[in-house]
Amino acid sequence: MAAPMELSCWGGDWGLPSLHPESLTVMAYAKFSGAPLTVNTISNSWKAPRGDIPVLISEDNVISQPAKILNFLRKQKYNADYELSAKQGADTLAYIALLEEKLLPALLHTFWIEAENYCSVTKPWFASRIAFPLNLYLPGKMSREALNRILLTKGGPPLCSLTEVEAQIYRDAKECLNLLSKRLGTSQFFFGDTPTTLDAFVFGFLAPIYKVCFPRVQLQEHLKQLPNLCRFCDDILTCYFRLSVSGHSPAGQDTADANLQKLTQLVNKESNLIEKMDDNLRKSPQHPPRKLTTLKLAAGGEGGSPLNRLSP
Amino acid sequence: ATLCFQAFLQMCNLPVRVVCRANAEYMSPSGKLPFIHVGNQVVSELGPIVQFVKAKGHSLSDGLDEVQKAEMKAYMELVNNMLLTAELYLQWCDDVTVEEITHPRYGSPYPWPLNRILSYQKQWEVKRKMKAIGWAGKTLEQVLEDVDQCCQALSQRLGTQPYFFNKQPTELDALVFGHLFTILTTQLITDELSEKVKNYSNLTAFCRRIEQQYFEGHDKDSSTIAARSAKRSLLR
Repeated sequence: MAAPMELSCWGGDWGLPSLHPESLTVMAYAKFSGAPLTVNTISNSWKAPRGDIPVLISEDNVISQPAKILNFLRKQKYNADYELSAKQGADTLAYIALLEEKLLPALLHTFWIEAENYCSVTKPWFASRIAFPLNLYLPGKMSREALNRILLTKGGPPLCSLTEVEAQIYRDAKECLNLLSKRLGTSQFFFGDTPTTLDAFVFGFLAPIYKVCFPRVQLQEHLKQLPNLCRFCDDILTCYFRLSVSGHSPAGQDTADANLQKLTQLVNKESNLIEKMDDNLRKSPQHPPRKLTTLKLAAGGEGGSPLNRLSP
Repeated sequence: ATLCFQAFLQMCNLPVRVVCRANAEYMSPSGKLPFIHVGNQVVSELGPIVQFVKAKGHSLSDGLDEVQKAEMKAYMELVNNMLLTAELYLQWCDDVTVEEITHPRYGSPYPWPLNRILSYQKQWEVKRKMKAIGWAGKTLEQVLEDVDQCCQALSQRLGTQPYFFNKQPTELDALVFGHLFTILTTQLITDELSEKVKNYSNLTAFCRRIEQQYFEGHDKDSSTIAARSAKRSLLR
């Protein structure tokens, strides 16, 4: 029996268990391999995030990057890749490299560098989950790191200005999405019927793009044109994340259902009311609107006589 | 990297002549080596060169279907991501190698103190990049492990086939050949990196096969020697 394992990561919103791609990858892998992880989302407490997120703590081991966390889980016998052949294992590595090189820069850009997105969504969301005064500093730092990463890896000549780099990274990302879609085809997961490491990584990268509501959404729009990838994300969310025992998702689902019911009732009532009003209007004679009486007083002579005839 | 291009161009049956210049980085339109000069056009970097050659009617990956093309692109990224970064790390972030080999090599075309200044500048740039992608915290052993994993993946993908996509060589074969051959033949302080590659016999056989097939026909000695000295004085 393995020692209890605790994962600290960023929380979620918009139907996702986490907004952070790396945290999401680790959570998905844990679900696929059946590893019992207690997930602690970072909230407004003084336990400020140190170093890289996500962090896995098990006994005395503190492990921080997704690849290392996944390796650790595999060593503890939670292996989602058990049935893969050697070639499929090699393919996994290659596709993960593809994701990191082609998709990650655009993802970072959408979240942290695109000014509208950053100011209206990302910064407030992350700031609300970090304690004061770190919340004034940490989102800015994450944004600068993202920009640095993009410029250093993609920004060499001849792409000198940020707009050219942006254009290039979005082109690469869209191409990457197309390639993933072709590779997935019509199967449920990338290697048949059971999800593996590659599915965890792809889900971790795609789900934030798919679900988070940003003002500038060119990548999301492109993703929505690839229905098999959208279906892939939705499947994993419904199968692996709704049935969690953490307490909030089933309750969340119930309140969402209740809200939906109330909304539908309201809409129905309103449409009934509107129908009634329509009927009334059609049946009754045309009454002039009340305002005209005040105009009559203001306008003087000409307005007066026709209104005198018509007023009730 | 020079070797990748030569291999690629020779696989396309296009004649190529290698020329070494000290200011090659400045002649290149993107600042990156190598670049090709065709008629009055100059094109640099693997991606654009492949497209340029394709536009002229030669392509190695036409026979692949969509899924295979996706796989090929993914493997090319893996090679770029792991092997290229590991090579850079070894050249610029491993102190012993830097002092004994890289600094003298990089600065050799220039007089003192320019040679030291330029090589420190390049080293600082590379270290910044490593930090941005998270490799700065890696030790040499971890880097070697990553290379090993990458070679294992390539070896498993290659299996017993002559090329990565069975009978025909593709851009991926050229790229892998270029990197592996460089690793196997460049002299470093330790042989650990080349040992990692040598562990996989199908990879070494693959390199030898491509060398024999594509480089022996055309004046093998001069072209491979020229390629090696091109790398020596004009670091990527």
